[in-house]
Amino acid sequence: MSTPTSAPKKLGLREKYARMTRDLAWEPSYQPKDKIYPQAGLEGIKIEDWDRWEDPFRLTMDAYWKYQAEKERKLYAIIDAFAQNNAQLNVTDARYVNALKLFLTGVTPLEYAAHRGFAMVGRAFPGAGAQVACQMQSIDELRHVQTQIHTISHYNKYFSGFEEWRHMHDRVWYLSVPKSFFDDAMSAGPFEFITAISFSFEYVLTNLLFMPFMSGAAYNGDMATVTFGFSAQSDEARHMTLGLEVIKFMLEQHPDNLPIVQRWIDKWFWRGYRLLTLVAMMMDYMLPKRVMSWQEAWEMYFEQNGGALFADLARYGIRMPRHWEVSVKEKDRLSHEAWATFYNYGHAAAFHTWMPDESEMAWLAEKYPASFDARYRPRYEHWIAEERAGRRFYNPTLPMLCQVCQIPMVFTEPDDPTTTCYRESHYHGEHYHFCSDGCKDIFDAEPEKYVQSWLPVHQIYQGHCGGGSVPEVLRWYRLEAGRDNLDYLSSPDRQNWQRWKGEAAAG
Amino acid sequence: MSHLLTIEPLGQTIEVAEDQTILDAALRAGIWLPHACCHGLCATCKVQVSDGEIEHNDASPFALLDFERDEGKCLACCATLSSDVTIEADIDEDPDAEVHPVRDFNATVVELETLTPTARRVVLELDADLSFQAGQYINLWLPQIERPRAFSLANPPSQSRRVELQVRRVPGGEATGYIHERLAVGDTLRLSGPYGRFFVRRSAPGSHLFLAGGTGLASPLSMIVDLLERGDTRPITLIYGARHRAELYDDARLRALAAQYPQFAYVPALSDPLPGDDWEGVTGFVHEVAKAYFNSDFRGHKAYLCGPPPMIDACLSTLMQGRLFERDIYMEKFLSAADAAQANRRSPLFRAL
Repeated sequence: MSTPTSAPKKLGLREKYARMTRDLAWEPSYQPKDKIYPQAGLEGIKIEDWDRWEDPFRLTMDAYWKYQAEKERKLYAIIDAFAQNNAQLNVTDARYVNALKLFLTGVTPLEYAAHRGFAMVGRAFPGAGAQVACQMQSIDELRHVQTQIHTISHYNKYFSGFEEWRHMHDRVWYLSVPKSFFDDAMSAGPFEFITAISFSFEYVLTNLLFMPFMSGAAYNGDMATVTFGFSAQSDEARHMTLGLEVIKFMLEQHPDNLPIVQRWIDKWFWRGYRLLTLVAMMMDYMLPKRVMSWQEAWEMYFEQNGGALFADLARYGIRMPRHWEVSVKEKDRLSHEAWATFYNYGHAAAFHTWMPDESEMAWLAEKYPASFDARYRPRYEHWIAEERAGRRFYNPTLPMLCQVCQIPMVFTEPDDPTTTCYRESHYHGEHYHFCSDGCKDIFDAEPEKYVQSWLPVHQIYQGHCGGGSVPEVLRWYRLEAGRDNLDYLSSPDRQNWQRWKGEAAAG
Repeated sequence: MSHLLTIEPLGQTIEVAEDQTILDAALRAGIWLPHACCHGLCATCKVQVSDGEIEHNDASPFALLDFERDEGKCLACCATLSSDVTIEADIDEDPDAEVHPVRDFNATVVELETLTPTARRVVLELDADLSFQAGQYINLWLPQIERPRAFSLANPPSQSRRVELQVRRVPGGEATGYIHERLAVGDTLRLSGPYGRFFVRRSAPGSHLFLAGGTGLASPLSMIVDLLERGDTRPITLIYGARHRAELYDDARLRALAAQYPQFAYVPALSDPLPGDDWEGVTGFVHEVAKAYFNSDFRGHKAYLCGPPPMIDACLSTLMQGRLFERDIYMEKFLSAADAAQANRRSPLFRAL
């Protein structure tokens, strides 16, 4: 350990940061370094000098605690006030709460997975700068999980479908989409994990996750969720910067890293994009008051901001992620295809589904002039008529899932939005099915990994999910039939809401 | 009424006059703060106000967002003080940065020379010594033109009374039009300086590489002559590009330097030589010539870029693909209002490029 010399004046941010972090590193003498950090070399990434790591943010641990404590204090004051004022009654409509159910079961467990993942890769990296950055992010993520659970727990007192979020995350069919996304990253090596989560997800795509949920909360009167959103987002700036630094560091360390990094960017762009399907439908269908359409968000956050980023990355020889142009072709259909799927399977979902009303359809038609009236409105009008005739449609068969993203194979051909897209690969005598060329490419590059996927539909058919009938599977999900699932129109949530708000029960 | 400004992490306190900006006061006191456009457009000079009250004045709403104002951020180039204030600035101590307070000078035009059809050399005799670091620039006021214009100093710091500017005529430009058409020997002008953070990292190991295009030659010329005068024996390479022979100036001066100093390699390049040019040197854009000259391997260099934006842009990609990255690349940015508006389209991947 070096002895700090007395400083004549206040240390600069950079110096202070170096003193507080770099002395944590030392040359080991009992064991060779490659035995202490055995995973650092497994993926083919070559690092010549860890000291070249530029700390993407200069926040020392002592300052970190100070900032975070202040954020917590503010957040909990607001959550308390929210609870005392029964502010759950101020949201626009009880339908909004279903977006929170999706967030709590789908996103909050990912924050916990990120906490574990960053702790793990922080241990795996040999450089002190990377270790400290990962350590802070790991603690951030733990804070995010806790604040989200605490904030949303208030809704659990008044609405159904919240209490088994953690159990559901591991079992419910559509929640295997976010769960398998993170499991895929965690079971990769440390460099791929940090590319997947810090760069592709936190940097390229996080605005598309947080902005819709948090602005959605603001527009719909949920100030508690807005506050945990702001609190978490104040950390996101650091996480996003880490994502950029990681990519630059790998690309600058050795030219052999370029093709590996490009392959990961290709893969994790597509994995992240497919995961955002759930967000797309939330934006366009689940918010009673809408913020912006999925198409607008994709144009702003990916086509414009992402385009500027990839223009800068081109200096390193990185190109746009593969199949990005498919994401642009799909932008006026993604949310509609997803919501139609959930409407079909609303009896097996842990939140309520519904058909948009006439004013909402008018909004959709305005936002999607080229696609909504032509392709999706007629289907919805048919379903509304069926429902009014007492035949609310639920699809009784189980869908085929994509082997990689685990989403039902409901997406359409990039150049033909009326034909379902099917792709397949053959591996060791078995057929594997994919929703897209993007997912097929991912499988073909690492088939041994994805043949092991735990696909909910396969598992049900193999009898691993509590039994062969829908009631048995729902019980295994801990999803209370008739209360947590089915159409919003028939839900206890809606009846309670009308009672609380003094609204006349609609026919 | 003046107020006191404390600048952290330096802990230094200076006096700021009413209506004087934080940036102007700091630079005049010899404290360098990050800055670029000086009109509230680029946000390079964003600092944290940790105590006291300020006015934001003309800070652009695009450069300083509302939430940043709420957080107590301000743009030093626009902000004035309403009380005694403490700011925290992200100042990295650079062992090679020299501190030269900004001063005002009266200058007399002593020499004018047409360098090319679009560039003019202006030599000014000052009323006092201008101490500066090679690569810095001055602000020059011209008669009846409201704002001063920035010009790089082409003379080495050893020449502190006679300063040399190389002025390209900007099409439709008010100030450069004046310099080209109306400025005459014997005229007196006001200037202030030095400004800027573009300087040679002499204490860093490795060779020096200068990539210049057009009147972007001014700063590299000052920096190279300064290095040679100081007896720096490391390899120095200048790749200097112009369109054709008539646009290439100071060629004889640079050839003479290269003949005199074996460590200095001078590589003039024409991108589009005319038939009558009888050009025997290399042909191509600066980045192409650099790539071929170094066989696309720039490791072990510190690179200094000066020239029009498309040249800078092409050189950055060439350097990075030749494995020289942001930490070893330096350039001076002059921002016009139009440039700053375009800068919004960039990603935050690079801090300084």
